[in-house]
Order: sequence, then structure tokens, then C-alpha cells
Amino acid sequence: MSQRRVPRRLSRRASWGVSIAGALAVMGFVAAAQWNSSASRESFTSSAQQVLAAQVLQLEAEQRDLREQIAEAEEQVRQFQEQSTSSSATLAVLNAQLEQARVAGGLSAVHGPGVIVEIADSNRVVPPGENPSSFIVLVDDLRDIVAALWASGAEAITINGERLVASSSIYGVGASILVNTSFLPAPYRIEAIGGDGLLDRFQADPAFTGRVAQRIEFYGLEFAVAQADDLQLPAFVGTTRFRWGVPVESPAP
Amino acid sequence: MSARVAQLSLFMVTLLIGVLLVGQLRSQARPLEITSLPAQDLSELIDTLGARNRELRTGLADLHETLREYRVAGSQGQSALEVSREDLRRITAFAGLAAVEGQGLVLDVSGSLDAIALNDLVNELRNAGAEAIAVDDVRVTNRSVAVQGPRSLVVDGVEIGEEFTISAIGSPEGLLSAMERPGGIIAQLEQFIDATIVATQSNEIVVPATTVDLAPAVAEAVR
Repeated sequence: MSQRRVPRRLSRRASWGVSIAGALAVMGFVAAAQWNSSASRESFTSSAQQVLAAQVLQLEAEQRDLREQIAEAEEQVRQFQEQSTSSSATLAVLNAQLEQARVAGGLSAVHGPGVIVEIADSNRVVPPGENPSSFIVLVDDLRDIVAALWASGAEAITINGERLVASSSIYGVGASILVNTSFLPAPYRIEAIGGDGLLDRFQADPAFTGRVAQRIEFYGLEFAVAQADDLQLPAFVGTTRFRWGVPVESPAP
Repeated sequence: MSARVAQLSLFMVTLLIGVLLVGQLRSQARPLEITSLPAQDLSELIDTLGARNRELRTGLADLHETLREYRVAGSQGQSALEVSREDLRRITAFAGLAAVEGQGLVLDVSGSLDAIALNDLVNELRNAGAEAIAVDDVRVTNRSVAVQGPRSLVVDGVEIGEEFTISAIGSPEGLLSAMERPGGIIAQLEQFIDATIVATQSNEIVVPATTVDLAPAVAEAVR
């Protein structure tokens, strides 16, 4: 009896031991990888880089402040115009035109039905020999998504809350993406207001299927789309004045 | 008892592995912290953010001037009509609803550009500070995008031939240096696509108003 019991207890202990040893081995491997990556990154962050990074953060803070001031001043201008609407019929017509032009140009907050597109970096482990930048959202991915949405009939678009207007650029600086004046981090949420069928047209548009759809599938970029009954998109905040050109004619009432 | 301890230990070990794996997966590709960016990227970010902030400061000063004009008109009992007209001129020009004339850059393009290349050119001009852009006689608005049509590229429903002109109002020097910088958009397109792009500064550029109705069909202003 005891001869049969001893091997069973030994095998159970051995099985636990193997499990724990295996788990500890995986944990050790992952911890080492984690340690190596953070150690190399830390050592790579030189003092010069820290100075530059501090400057970037300072400029971003300054920009947030400027944008708040601009939004506030735009609101004050709008209030002046609304207050003076009652003073004459001509002014009322003028203010109606102002509102239409603001909506057309992306200078008013708008709401309506539309689609939400979300895209984020891949969660896959980068295989040896592969370029890690293939597994992150690139500036071209956002440009393609936006081009496909406009081509599909979108009337207003934001990327992470940045409203796209006639002067908007989507620009890559290394792995960073600037939209309008803002440095936007991943994940990216693109919201677009548009009529019926916008989502279907977007997913069939060559600007979407040509590159970004393939990258989503091949590199495992995180991607999701959804329809929305009522999106609310903010107005553009930024400079709308021309320095180098003047309007040729004005539609004066 | 010992089995319970073992289970608990295994649970803790598994939990730790999970946490470490998530951390490892998240740290493998994109540097999340600004301090992790290479010095070259940081320098470019500083240049870009600095230029954008200068634009914002100028825009803010202009807005304060408009507000001052409204206040002066109000205090003198005058109508705000002229101030509002000026604001309408600004906004219609910005939106592409009014033609604009001024200084800038003209790109004469010939060759087999695809829609992506044309959209990239427009994006580059916008990033370099172009205030108004037209492809041939088609004003580029917020909603304009080049697409491949049955016979040629199409912008806002208008076919664009193999030879076309992009007119951009903005700083002639700034636009030219951005477009012609080594490794820039023109260099890339000429290298990878069979295209020729000639950039010329000009003091007399006229960019037409859009012919597209930009009034939204479903979007409504938030009141």
C-alpha cells in the first residue's frame, strides 16, 4: 500500500514543481526582456534629450494656453455679432451669412449622424527582423482614413477632437503625429458626420482598402468602426487670418 | 492547506506574468513618453510647435483687434456692420467660399501622379503654412480630396489632367523651402514616381472660390 502511495505523492509534487518552475521561467524571461528594454531606453535618454523634451512640453503647454485664449476670443466676437443682430436688418443678414460660412469652414461646433473609426498600435510581438514601426499607426494611415471619409461624403471630421479645416495638415514627425497644431498620441479616434451609408462607402473606398486596410490585417493594428446616431464635433481652434493673401471679393449683403 | 498555499502561489505567479507581459507588449513599438523620442524628432517637434505657436499668437492678436473694433463701434454708438463685414471676408476666404489673391508658390506638375501623391502634395503645402490652395481652377477646401476617376485624377468632381498646376498662397520662401528640402515631398515624388514638379515663387497668385456647395446636408450647428 505504502509503496503505491509514495510514487503518487512524488509525482503530484513533481507535477507542481514543473508547473511552478515553468511559470517562474516565463516570468524571468519576460522580466528580463522588460528590464532590458526599459534599461536601454533609460540609458538612451541623454541629458540633451531631456532638455529638448522639456522644451517640447513647454511649447505644448504654451499652445494649450494660446488655444484656450483663441477659443475665448472667438466666442466673444460671436457674442458681439449676436448682440448686434437686432440693430439692423442688414446686420441680421450679415450674421446669418457669418454663421453659414462658419459651419461650412469648420469654425462652428456641429452635430449629426456619422461614424467613429478607431485605430491603435498593434498588440502583436514584433517578430525578429521586422521593422517595429510597421506595427504602429503611421501618419499615412490617418491620411488614408481621412481621405476615404471625405471621398465617402463626410461633412465634418475630427481626429482626437481636432477639427479638420481647409488649412489642416496631418504631419508625421518621427513616430509622432501632428494634426493642425497639436501633437496627438495613439490611439486615434476619428469621428465623421455624414449621411446614410457613410460607413459602407468608407469601408469600400480605395483610399481605405488600398493601404491602411491591408496594414490592419497584416500587422494587426487595432481597428474598430461604429455608426453613431448623433456625434458632436467641436469647432476648429486656430488661426484663420491670412498673412499672404487677401479676399478678392466679399459677398456683402 | 499546502494545496491551498500552492494554488495561491500559482495564482500570484500567473498574475505577475500577466502584468509583465502587458507591460512588455505595450513597450515594444511606440515610445509613449516624450523623453523616449530621438533627439532629431524632438528638435523637429520643437521647430514645428514653435512655428505653430507663433501663428497662434498672431491669430490671437488679430482677434483682439477685432474685439477692440467692436468695442470702439459700440462705445461710439456706431453700427458693427463694417466689423462684421470684415469678419465675413475673413471667414469666407478661410473656408474657400471667396477667391483670394496674394503671394505664394506655383507648382507645375507633370507625370503619372496618383491620388495619394496629389493628396500628399496638398498636405505638405498646408503643413508649410499655405493659406489657400487650388489645383488648376479647383479651390481646395476642408472637404476636398483627390480620387482616381475612370480617366484621370478627380478633385471635387473635376477631372485633372496629367499636367496640372497647384497654386498656393503663403510665404513664398517658406513654401519653397518646405517643398524643395532634401528628402522632401518633391524629391520623394520625383524619385519614386515618374513625375516632374517645378516650383516657382510668385507675387501674383489668384486662387478661385470653390464652386462646391459646402452647406452640410446632415450636420447642424450646435446652438
